[in-house]
Amino acid sequence: MNTFELLGQGLIAALQVQNLIYALIGVTLGTAVGVLPGIGPALTVALLLPVTYNLDPAGSLIMFAGIYYGGMYGGSTTSILLNTPGESASIVTALEGNKMARQGRGGPALATAAIGSFIAGLIATLGLAFIAPFVVKFALSFGPADYFALMILAFVTVSAAFGDSPLRGLTALFIGLGLGIIGIDQQTGQTRLAFGVLDLLDGIEVTTLAVALFAIGETLKTAADREQVEASVMAVKGSVWMTLEDWKRSWGSWLRGTFIGFPIGAMPAGGADIASFLSYSAEKSFAKKPEEFGHGAIEGVAGPEAANNASAAGTLVPLLTLGLPTTATAAIMLAGFQQFGLQPGPLLFANNASLVWALIASLLIANFMLLVLNLPLIGLWVKLLTIPKPWLYAGILVFATLGTLGANGAMSMGFGSVRISFELVLLLVFGVLGYLLRRFGYPIAPVVVGLILGPMAEQQLRRALSISQGDPAVLFHSPISLVLYAVAIIAVLLPMIMRMRGKGAVLGQLASDED
Amino acid sequence: MSVGQSNSTRRPDGAALVIAVILAAISIIIFWQTSQMRVPPIQQRVGPTVFPYIVAAGLGLLAIGTLISALRNGFPARSKDDYGPIAWIIGGLVAQILLLSTAGFSVATGVLFALTAKGFGRGPLWQTIPIGVIFSFIVWFIFARGLQLSLPMGPVERFIVTGSF
Amino acid sequence: MNKLLLAALVSGALSMPAFAADYTILAPAAPGGGWDQTARTMQEAFTAEGISGNVQVTNVPGAGGTIGLAQFANQDAGNPNALIVGGYVMVGAILTNMSPVTLADVTPIARLTGEAVAIVVPAASDIQTLDDLVAKLKENTGAVSWAGGSAGGVDHITAGLIAKTIGVDPTQVNYIAYSGGGEALAAILGGQVTVGISGISEFASQIQAGELRLLAVSSDERVPGVDGPTLKEAGIDLAVQNWRMVAAAPGITPEQKAAITADVKALATSASWKAALETKGWVDTYLDGEAFDTQLAADIAATETILKDIGLVQ
Repeated sequence: MNTFELLGQGLIAALQVQNLIYALIGVTLGTAVGVLPGIGPALTVALLLPVTYNLDPAGSLIMFAGIYYGGMYGGSTTSILLNTPGESASIVTALEGNKMARQGRGGPALATAAIGSFIAGLIATLGLAFIAPFVVKFALSFGPADYFALMILAFVTVSAAFGDSPLRGLTALFIGLGLGIIGIDQQTGQTRLAFGVLDLLDGIEVTTLAVALFAIGETLKTAADREQVEASVMAVKGSVWMTLEDWKRSWGSWLRGTFIGFPIGAMPAGGADIASFLSYSAEKSFAKKPEEFGHGAIEGVAGPEAANNASAAGTLVPLLTLGLPTTATAAIMLAGFQQFGLQPGPLLFANNASLVWALIASLLIANFMLLVLNLPLIGLWVKLLTIPKPWLYAGILVFATLGTLGANGAMSMGFGSVRISFELVLLLVFGVLGYLLRRFGYPIAPVVVGLILGPMAEQQLRRALSISQGDPAVLFHSPISLVLYAVAIIAVLLPMIMRMRGKGAVLGQLASDED
Repeated sequence: MSVGQSNSTRRPDGAALVIAVILAAISIIIFWQTSQMRVPPIQQRVGPTVFPYIVAAGLGLLAIGTLISALRNGFPARSKDDYGPIAWIIGGLVAQILLLSTAGFSVATGVLFALTAKGFGRGPLWQTIPIGVIFSFIVWFIFARGLQLSLPMGPVERFIVTGSF
Repeated sequence: MNKLLLAALVSGALSMPAFAADYTILAPAAPGGGWDQTARTMQEAFTAEGISGNVQVTNVPGAGGTIGLAQFANQDAGNPNALIVGGYVMVGAILTNMSPVTLADVTPIARLTGEAVAIVVPAASDIQTLDDLVAKLKENTGAVSWAGGSAGGVDHITAGLIAKTIGVDPTQVNYIAYSGGGEALAAILGGQVTVGISGISEFASQIQAGELRLLAVSSDERVPGVDGPTLKEAGIDLAVQNWRMVAAAPGITPEQKAAITADVKALATSASWKAALETKGWVDTYLDGEAFDTQLAADIAATETILKDIGLVQ
């Protein structure tokens, strides 16, 4: 049987009324839990997976697919509306998305995120069905030296999120890099900068830092600024829907985001966060109006949101073809598959063809359900902004602390009968840091980016040099790494050239805006 | 334009000077801690101390850059912030941390909820604390009972779930 | 009632849900991992067999289980209803992390399951047998790169023990640590490293598909369903097992310990437990009482020696 017939059969199975209901329940649950700040897709899937255990394998898979995509998508909603991303992959979404929301354009921002996620999910799921074996070959050919080159590219592109001051941008990045050193060094098992605190041995949790800097920091800053407390929010200015111009500006970003996200998601050491960073900087480079970036450019929402969803489907490539769980979410999924005696691996497609195709078909259906569920709800989500600020921010803090406690809630410190959760202490400390960074004009995103990329870059470099027994030539050995370095150099030079060429026009624009 | 103004005034920015000092201090701490590390005799061409030294050096340079920027008044204008609301919210977070193990999730988080609302000017506490506790209990029930998330129980949760303290 | 009072007094923590559940099992790892799955499988089997009415699982991840262990030893002291899942990885982590709380601070009950470590090469490798690998190691130890789990874990320890047994310097072993089985497997399949070393379940489906060649397994006996010799058969006198165990709280009475051991034994011999092992591919290595204590002490001593030899512990 060829691929089309198999997929067709899978779709027929998935399209039964009962399975559609499961998909709808899955998407609703996934979105509802994923939307809470501090609860990212991994925790959402871990929490909701047991719900699926009581169903038959096909129903279970389809509900699971819904939870997965719903959880992925849910994170972007609070990121856009409240500037409180719940996980690392929707941080860049907050950069432009929240600016749009503040201008009363939260509706179009959510819409471009939803439609972009749908298109990316659709293309990437089809990619999973038809080209997975090729993609996985490409992904496996990445050695440590190539990953290091990819990290260098990602570092170069972080500067896209620096805002107006390179000094403050770099400072924020280095604070993140410094936090990234904390904990056990993976290659030697030695502890670094843990100051004898047991809870620091595993390093700083990215989610805790992101939730603290964004959710807590944002709450403190808003509360401290009387004008902001008293300002009445205009939830919607203009249409809730995307205008023709929004569509024109979004579609290219959706496609670029998809093509960045899918292969990076498929890489064993890639991930949705890196895909979203790269997509953001690509959008900034390609944008017709780069000066809008930092002030609510719709491309900056459309691209990264497509990238992180495409990457979610990409993660399934190594999982289904090789049995490789490359993210925490995928590892939880693997455990889920084993519940039905499915062993992901090279023989999965041969041994369990019908279930695998049912899963792929389920992903397509879930993706569609997500759009059906979320587009009409955008009007409702935007109403979040009209909740009176005291209740809104009090609620945000409740969920931020709940997510942190649920993911990492050991009460390992204390005195007498009072036990303390160290993770909540970190949340408080980083929340204050987030406030101070905002107050003094430092960008927030580079701190989190530094924490994510720093340890990865270090580990890959040291692995590469260890395998080569210290020969640095290994770093420039493979064509892949050379191409990546070349792209990195272009990424640095291109904006400079564009700026020089376009300077006259931009300055003229500024001058006319002045009066 | 704030940039033009600040260049002409030339009075050093005190807060920015403090930031420079903090960055320098972090740099020194990383240097010092890393120099205390024992590097195992394993095959490692680039050992576990190289990256910390690079980061420490980078932070040192940024401290100098921040110092220069502070002297030249290169920081953007700051809004006038009220510290009262911040104190309420931080107080709420501290209260939650301290109360969690003994009073349980609902009471501790209810206090956080009420103090945060207070920070935004909504009170009085005798009204908002019960609201917060009820809200937090509903959240606790959904996540701890429905979704098996491990969240600390206290007398309130135990009483409602099991009927005894 | 006395027991409950004592528990409340010693731990002081009201958060302990001793009233709501017969047993609470602490999994010192994130949801989804091996220890978490062990804890949740125990939960299901305990209730299915009626050994315990209500069982709750708590996850306290971090630092090879030492964070969970520390919390357990502090908060649950004297609580006869508290259990913690652990394993061999914890033994290494306690040593490398210089953890203030060790397995001596809890009451080990029984070993439940075990898994062999497998040594594999990609199908295209010129290494055909374990002898070829040994020859390469003896020729230039550093030129052989090993991919496996985190530094100081059971994979690293096994690689070091192999080097030591064949008479090469364990500090020269070029061990490349990866965070999870998936990432290490990708590096092995992609031909980035010379050999791979990890739990047999990580590699089983790749070996079956012919993508990886199994050189040896570390267990005493061959692993059923997998075609490959043990280290001993291949000429290296060594056996390592990555076992998982269950322990009870410190400060419980001998009677309480006996009662818990009886419950765990009933669990381990129950039909639902055996069925669960079958589906998950775990090997039953149940051992309790003095035999387990002896084996645990021997494992801890051997681990300390090899970690010192590798240079990870002083």
